[in-house]
Amino acid sequence: MSESAETASSTIRNPRAGLLAWLLPGLGHAMLGDRRRGMLAGGGVIGLFLLGILIGGIDVVDRREDGLWFVAQAGAGPIAWVADAANAALVANGRFGGMIEAPHPNPMAPPDAVVMVPAFKGVAHPNEMGTLFCAMAGLMNVFLVIDAMSRRPAGAAP
Amino acid sequence: MNMVAYLPMLEPLPGVEHWWMLLIIPLSFGIALIYKAARVPSLDQIWRATGVMTVQILLSMVAIAIGFLILVQVVVPLLPVD
Repeated sequence: MSESAETASSTIRNPRAGLLAWLLPGLGHAMLGDRRRGMLAGGGVIGLFLLGILIGGIDVVDRREDGLWFVAQAGAGPIAWVADAANAALVANGRFGGMIEAPHPNPMAPPDAVVMVPAFKGVAHPNEMGTLFCAMAGLMNVFLVIDAMSRRPAGAAP
Repeated sequence: MNMVAYLPMLEPLPGVEHWWMLLIIPLSFGIALIYKAARVPSLDQIWRATGVMTVQILLSMVAIAIGFLILVQVVVPLLPVD
């Protein structure tokens, strides 16, 4: 039997495990009796997410400014909302680092037009890679949620 | 590089812009680890399977990059201009 046929199918067997897997990556597999598998998979998701924030700063999770990216990041569960709330409370309002003037993002704006942005706002490659890490963590956790929902509990007869 | 005032997690990691391409390695490793953790029948094989998949992802990215390089540097200049 192939790997995929052995461990998963299209049948939803454990919706509760899926919910737990979304709430805390890896918890769904742990609930099904596969604790080590859950720790490895969940550790991978949380590790990728935290590495993304370390690379690009907390600004890489921003529900208001990067809404489409946040859809992917939200797959990692409540950790994405916590990161977004932390960004809004600490960085986006200038509490840490303050606000600085930046050129207006609209190219049609007058040459001397400026906008105020947080001093800790991530830009260029660090921001792109951090955003990508968090988004991949979210998408891979969606995969874990689907796997947990369709997986047989450890030790259960096929 | 001034790291005196660096606040981890709040501001971007200093110096990333010089080596950001290397971040594809931990990204590939993380994706491979999560995928293989859910898919391998026995977890005894997980680190080997993760290593193999990481290398597969990296080699695939290099192959795609070489393909685009040939397309842009060789094929496109051969196209008629007008």
